[in-house]
Amino acid sequence: MAGRTTRAHAGRRDVIKGGMAVAAAAMLPAGVARAELANIPRDQTMILIGINSRDGRWVDYELWNPYAIGANHQNGPNLIYEPLAYYSAFADKMYMWLAESYQYTPDFRQLTIKTRQGIKWSDGTPFSAEDVAYTFNTLRDLGPKVKWGVDVNQALDEATVTDPNTVVLKFKIPSPRFFFFASYKYDIGIYMVPKHIFQGQDWASFKHYDLAKGWPVTTGPWKVVESSLQQKVFDRRDTWWAADQKLAPMPRIMRNIWLPMVGEQESAQAQITNRSDFGGPLQPATFPTVIRQNPKVTTWSGRKPPWGYVDWWPLSLYVNNEVKPFDDPDVRWALSHYVDRKQIIEVAYLGAETVSRLPMPPYKPLLPYFDVVKDLLVKYNTIEFNPKKGDALLQAKGFKKKGGTWEMPDGKPFTLGIIGFGLSGSAMGPVLSQMLKRHGVTASLSLPPDFDSRFQKGDFTGSIYGHGGSIREPYDTLRLYQSQSIAVPGAHAVNFSRWKNPAYDKIVDEVYITDPDNVAKLKTLFRAAMEIWLPALPDIQLVQNYHRIPLNLTRWKNWATEENPIVNNASWHLTYNLVLWNVQSAKA
Amino acid sequence: MQLIYVVRRFGVFLLIVWLAATLNFFLPKLSGQDPVRTKLLEEASLGGYVHAGIEDMVKVYQKKFGLDKPLWRQYLNYVADVAHGNLNYSIANYPRTVAGMIRDAMPWTIGLLGLTTVFSFVAGTILGALLAWPGAPRWMRWLMPPLWALHAIPFFLLGLVLMYLFAFQFQFLPIFGGYSAGASPGLTWTFVLDVLRHAVLPALSIVLVSVGGWALAMRGMMVTTMGEDYVTFAEAKGLRSATIFTRYCIRNAILPQTTGLALALGQILSGAVLVEVVFGYPGIGALLFQAIEENDFFLIQGIVFTVIVALGFATFLLDILYPWLDPRISYRRG
Repeated sequence: MAGRTTRAHAGRRDVIKGGMAVAAAAMLPAGVARAELANIPRDQTMILIGINSRDGRWVDYELWNPYAIGANHQNGPNLIYEPLAYYSAFADKMYMWLAESYQYTPDFRQLTIKTRQGIKWSDGTPFSAEDVAYTFNTLRDLGPKVKWGVDVNQALDEATVTDPNTVVLKFKIPSPRFFFFASYKYDIGIYMVPKHIFQGQDWASFKHYDLAKGWPVTTGPWKVVESSLQQKVFDRRDTWWAADQKLAPMPRIMRNIWLPMVGEQESAQAQITNRSDFGGPLQPATFPTVIRQNPKVTTWSGRKPPWGYVDWWPLSLYVNNEVKPFDDPDVRWALSHYVDRKQIIEVAYLGAETVSRLPMPPYKPLLPYFDVVKDLLVKYNTIEFNPKKGDALLQAKGFKKKGGTWEMPDGKPFTLGIIGFGLSGSAMGPVLSQMLKRHGVTASLSLPPDFDSRFQKGDFTGSIYGHGGSIREPYDTLRLYQSQSIAVPGAHAVNFSRWKNPAYDKIVDEVYITDPDNVAKLKTLFRAAMEIWLPALPDIQLVQNYHRIPLNLTRWKNWATEENPIVNNASWHLTYNLVLWNVQSAKA
Repeated sequence: MQLIYVVRRFGVFLLIVWLAATLNFFLPKLSGQDPVRTKLLEEASLGGYVHAGIEDMVKVYQKKFGLDKPLWRQYLNYVADVAHGNLNYSIANYPRTVAGMIRDAMPWTIGLLGLTTVFSFVAGTILGALLAWPGAPRWMRWLMPPLWALHAIPFFLLGLVLMYLFAFQFQFLPIFGGYSAGASPGLTWTFVLDVLRHAVLPALSIVLVSVGGWALAMRGMMVTTMGEDYVTFAEAKGLRSATIFTRYCIRNAILPQTTGLALALGQILSGAVLVEVVFGYPGIGALLFQAIEENDFFLIQGIVFTVIVALGFATFLLDILYPWLDPRISYRRG
């Protein structure tokens, strides 16, 4: 008996000891050991909070090939892959970069690009026209398998290298905007990849990440020295062709650390306590607190509202033009008259906003197009708050108001279910839906998780969304409303509002084949298009979209701002390198 | 131990895993959402511009992920993959694999929640035992009301308060993350201390909330145990108070706590979702939150399946070990 008891006791102890050993082993961090980072002082380091990281982690830390399906250029590849050219809408300036020059044939069916000499990838291989031709031809071949593939496939016939610094692109159709399309601005542009590394790889799944091999390779001023769930670290390269060729200053920042965004509160606290130098975007309501608590924090517009700059993405209330009664322009205009945009700005954005009259931002190169429709905008005032006009339009269509609520001619209530997402949905959506309710529309708001899918498929009645259209000339905005195109065979219409007008489509096709620098002709065509678009009002114009980013002056100065408008200063855009080269130490 | 007992329990374990895995497959599908379309559209409309050919891309990748096949075929593929230990690719983060993403997050969650669960268990159990014991110092009784009050607060809410006080106002501790910006990850003391420093606030928010629960349960069991005849007999024998407390009372009262601990350890793989989200802690909980946000079927299935296996395995292990820990429990049926 005693012996059995003794054995039992020993067994339990063994089990407990074994269990503890297993638990301790499991808690050891797995696979975290990597090469030690060089010691760089904090005042030579810039700490940035990124926007696309989710819940405090960079899930894509291994994905440095921006064409991989799960990759996102906004999360660091925008620093690694240099473009043929940059374009700044704020400066209205094209910065020729890997390309030295370009030339179209008069019919825009051929484009010759000259690349610069003396550029090398970070592994020592020379950058050449071969890389450019390989990038374009592969995109054409891959088509829908990768980002930008279909765009290139629609236009490009063949890219041919004629000498190490010359590539000739032959197009299937006239393509007067192809070089601009390939240049970096906002989130649009073709990433030039190193042929000697990408050739033979599956672009959709190739990661281009192996620090031991020096991957990702780059032609730019930054090299990736650490990438993990918690941080992406870029150190300045000692040599950079653009600095050697006096095209850009060598960045003063020695190390860039990109931290993942956790939330609005954490981001604001990091700014107030000087733990980050460049924040993720914050809501207008957060800025007074941040500005009050840290005198070193500023924004694009300084330490005053609107705390940011106008993005290229003016917001609208889209209504599905294929759904009754929103197929009727008068109903759309009635809704427009029920919207008090000033109140939206006051309530939803605490006054830190501006209205939007047309679905493109009032950027300098676009102002001539606003001017050419000035009289039309008086006649068709897209921002007029006039409920009486709205009532009259609905009454004329047989709508009846009962108990303060509109009924449609068939006796059913006039309902509008609005879907939205993100800040625009959560900030403006409740105000907008309440405003419409006050004027008799049975409006409701939801922020569904599959917003993008529903919006794209047309599975909505109303929606709050922006316009990723024009920044320099009107084609890109006009094409957002084109239902079909003859000029671009196989073109994929965006047309979120699902409005259709063959005469309008024809004008946009004519705009497509017009030289983007022929402003006089474009103005005429734009006016003709607006003469159709404005009476129809496919979507209801609301307000501009602002990027409100806190900038900390404790360690770094000379950020891009209203007074120094090099380019918009979004870290997630493809032009962020232009901002970084110009940033200087606060001590200087 | 009888072999038939182990085999039977293992069979139950497999059955639980299969049932749960099946539910795990079908439940996310009920939402009717298309994760491939959602992901590609999200990527395509970055910054507002929708690049061409998105519908073609959706078709290409639905085929690649097998989502173009009938549901029953998808289910069979899923079961076959899981049986081979293949958790597939993440839809939203292709070409990252689900296994790789779980592997990245696992050490953080096991480290944070494993330690906090064990610490809360030990502290709560001892406190609970002492609170029921008449010989314990009187001041200890004052500890219970605040611990019970804290027990009623959600982890993340307490976390926000702690963050405001210690990270923002006093700036003793970091606001978020698993380690400092610019730190070199590696098995060095500097890095380990940095990681521990970052774990203090999330750990504290879990421990402060959990300890009260363990203490409450232990106190109840102790009160019951102290009324047992064998305790009265031990006292009558004149055994030392400390011996009765540890050998007679705690040892018997702790058994239900052990069951609770095993289940809690099994559950740690699901993470303390909101605590990890609030503190930007790179664990499994935040990963699951993200997978749900992105409707990433394969990632949700992979994480939930891992949790199910861990829980099932913990229960299985408990079934095997329980008779060992408590000789009154027999391996024989009945």
